[in-house]
Amino acid sequence: MSDKETNAPSTDPDGTMIFVPTPSQAPPSETVGPIFWLRQNLFYSFFSSAITLLGIYFLFVTITGLYTWGVAEAVWTAESRRDCLDQSPHGACWAGIRTWFNSIIYGRYPDAEQWRIKLGFGLLVIWLLPIWIERIKARAWIGISAVLIYPYLAGYLFAGGERGVFMQFAFIASVTTLVANWLHVALTLLTGRGLPDWINRVCGLGNSTEKTQRIAFFSTLLLLFVAFYATFAGWEVAQVKTNLWGGLFLTFVIAGIGITFSLPAGILLALARRSELPAIRILAIGFIELVRSVPLISVLFMAVTMVPLFLPQGVELNKLAQAIVGVCLFFAAYMAETVRGGLQIVPIGQTEAAKSLGLNYWKSMYLIVLPQALKVMIPNIVSNFIALFKDTTLVSIIGLYDMLLMLKAIGRNSSWIGLHHEPLVFAAAIYFVICFAMSKYSQYLETVVGEGANQSR
Amino acid sequence: MTQATVTQPESTGQNVSADIVIEMKGVNKWYDTFHALKNIDLKVHRGERIVICGPSGSAKSTLIRCINRLEQYQQGEIFVHGELVEGSAKSVDPSINNVGMVFQQFNLFPHLTVLENCILAPMWVKKLPRHKAEEVAMNFLERVHIPDQALKYPKQLSGGQQQRVAIARSLCMNPDILLFDEPTSALDPEMISEVLDVMTELAATGITMICVTHEMGFARQVADRVVFMDSGEIVEEQPPETFFDHPRMDRTKLFLSQILGH
Repeated sequence: MSDKETNAPSTDPDGTMIFVPTPSQAPPSETVGPIFWLRQNLFYSFFSSAITLLGIYFLFVTITGLYTWGVAEAVWTAESRRDCLDQSPHGACWAGIRTWFNSIIYGRYPDAEQWRIKLGFGLLVIWLLPIWIERIKARAWIGISAVLIYPYLAGYLFAGGERGVFMQFAFIASVTTLVANWLHVALTLLTGRGLPDWINRVCGLGNSTEKTQRIAFFSTLLLLFVAFYATFAGWEVAQVKTNLWGGLFLTFVIAGIGITFSLPAGILLALARRSELPAIRILAIGFIELVRSVPLISVLFMAVTMVPLFLPQGVELNKLAQAIVGVCLFFAAYMAETVRGGLQIVPIGQTEAAKSLGLNYWKSMYLIVLPQALKVMIPNIVSNFIALFKDTTLVSIIGLYDMLLMLKAIGRNSSWIGLHHEPLVFAAAIYFVICFAMSKYSQYLETVVGEGANQSR
Repeated sequence: MTQATVTQPESTGQNVSADIVIEMKGVNKWYDTFHALKNIDLKVHRGERIVICGPSGSAKSTLIRCINRLEQYQQGEIFVHGELVEGSAKSVDPSINNVGMVFQQFNLFPHLTVLENCILAPMWVKKLPRHKAEEVAMNFLERVHIPDQALKYPKQLSGGQQQRVAIARSLCMNPDILLFDEPTSALDPEMISEVLDVMTELAATGITMICVTHEMGFARQVADRVVFMDSGEIVEEQPPETFFDHPRMDRTKLFLSQILGH
C-alpha cells in the first residue's frame, strides 16, 4: 500500500496544490453478512423475535398439514370416491383428477381428434420460437404474422369441417407463411443469410434494383403458396362444433384471443381518447366509461340472453363467439386506460421534436411515443393479461365448459359425487402456475427492455 | 425543396423577394384571452443569423414555435419560403421539414441511441436506406464533435453533449432554416460554451438561424441582427453593435442594464 503515500498533497512547479481524491474504504465488518442481516431483519427486538417465531410456527403447521393431506395420505388410483375414502379417509383423492384429466384439458372434444389441439398449440410454439433467437432478422414480422396469420391455421385445425373460399385461402396462406418463416430461420442459422438474400443469390439478382428483388421474393412466396394449394386443397378434418370445446383448451382459446386483441384495440382506444377530433374522442370516452362501469358477468349475460331478442327468429349465435367478443371489448376498455396512463408520462417535448423532424402523427406515435409508453406500462399491461386469463372462468355462467366448470362437474358425477376440494385445489394450482409464469416473464421483459437505456455497448 | 422560395407570389397578393426566407406579417396570437403575440412583423433573409432576446414571458419562444407549426396563431400570416404556414394547422405537413428546431430540453428520444436518434427521421421521412442515413448522421456527429458517442444512449451523455446531439439530429434532415429555443438555458454553466461553439461554427456555414437566447456574448459575436421583445411585441431590431452600444428604446436600455450590469 505504498500508493497511499501519494495521497499527501504535492505542489506544481508554479505553486498550485494538486488535488488527489481519498481512496474508498470497505464498510465496517459488523454491518455486513448473514448474521447481521438476521439480527437486523428478524430478531431486531423482543417483539420482532416473537413475530418471527410465530410466523415459523404457522408455516410449519400449514405445510405439514398440506403435505399429509396432499401427499402422504393421498390416494392416486381408485375406481370412485367411495373407493378413495375406503383407502384413506383423511387424504386427498387425486384419483378423481387423474380419471378426469383428459376432460379437464380438452372438455368434450372427441378423443380421436385431440391431436389437432396438440398440433395447433405445437405449431404456435414453433411459430413463435424464432422470436427469441437474436440472430434472426425480421423477427418483428414473425411476431406480427403470429398474431395476424396463425389464427386461421389454428382456427381451422380446432374447428375443422369444410373450408369456404376465404378460409381455404387463409389456411393455405397461413401454412405458406409458417414454412417461409422457418425456411428463413433455418437458412439464417445454417448459412448466416436469410431467405431474401438466398433468393437473390439463386436468381443472380445481387446487383438488381430493390423493386426487382422484391418481385423475385414475392414470386417465390407465390410459388410456395401454389405448391401448398396443390398439396392441401383437398385435405380436410372432421368438424368439431364449438359447444364440444372445453377445459383448459377453451380457457386458452378465449384468453389467447382476448390478449392478442385487447392490446392493439386498447392502444387505438387510448389514442382515440386523446384525439383532437371531438367526435372520435367522445366515442372513445363513451365506450370506455360505459364498458368499465359494467361487470363482465353482466356483459356476458346480456350477450347471451338479450342479443337474441333483437335478432330475427331462427338465427342462432355461436355462444363461444359471443363470449370472446364480450371478453375482448371489456378488456380493450381496461387496456385503453392503462395505455393512456403510459401515454401521459411521455413528455410533450417528444412529440414536438418528432413533429419538427417531419414525422407525422402515426409515425411519431409508432416510433417515439408508444415504445416509451408501453415500456413503462409493461407491469400494468401484464396485470391486465393476468386478470383477463382469470376472468375467462366467468364464461362458465353462460354454459361454456371452461376448465373451472369442468372441474366442478367432477363433483356431480355419480361415481365421484362430493369430490369438490381436490378439483378446486388443482384449478388453483394450474392458474397459479400460469399466472406466475406470466408475471415472471413480464419482470424479465422489463429488464430486457430497460437494459437498452442503461447498458453501454 | 428550396425552389419553393419563388412559388406564387401573386397568390399571396404581394411580391416576395427571393431573398426572404421567413416573413411574418401582423401576426397575433392569443392563449384563450391572453394576448401573447401582438402584431409581429419580421423578415428574415437567407443566411441571416438572428438572435431574439427579451425578459421571460415576452413570447420569444412562442414566436419561433409559430414558424414551425408547433403553435397556432389567430391573425396575420407567416410565410416560410413563400409558402403560407396556416395559423390553424393542427397537423404537420412534412414538406415543411426544411425548418429544423433545437429545444431547451433537448428532447432526444431516450429509447434510441444517439445514432438512431439521428437516422430516424431521414429513414422514415426521407426514406433514405439505413447505411446512407448512418453516413449522413456520422458526418454531422463529427461536425458537433461527438462521433465517438454514437452508440450510447442519451442518458449516458452530459447535458452539453445531448444538446449537440440534438443539433446534429436536426441537421440530418438538411434544414436550411434552424430555430434554437433557448438551447443553453437548461445546461450547467461549464457546458454552455461547448454548445455555443458548435452554434458559432454552424453560423459560419451560411445556414439561416434564429436563436432565442440569453447569451449576449454569442449575440454580439454571431448575430447579424438582434430582435428585442417585451410582452409579446418586438420593441427594437438592430445590428448587434448598435443594439448593445446605442440602444434606442428605454425598455431595451433597462433590459441591457439588468442582464449586463452584474
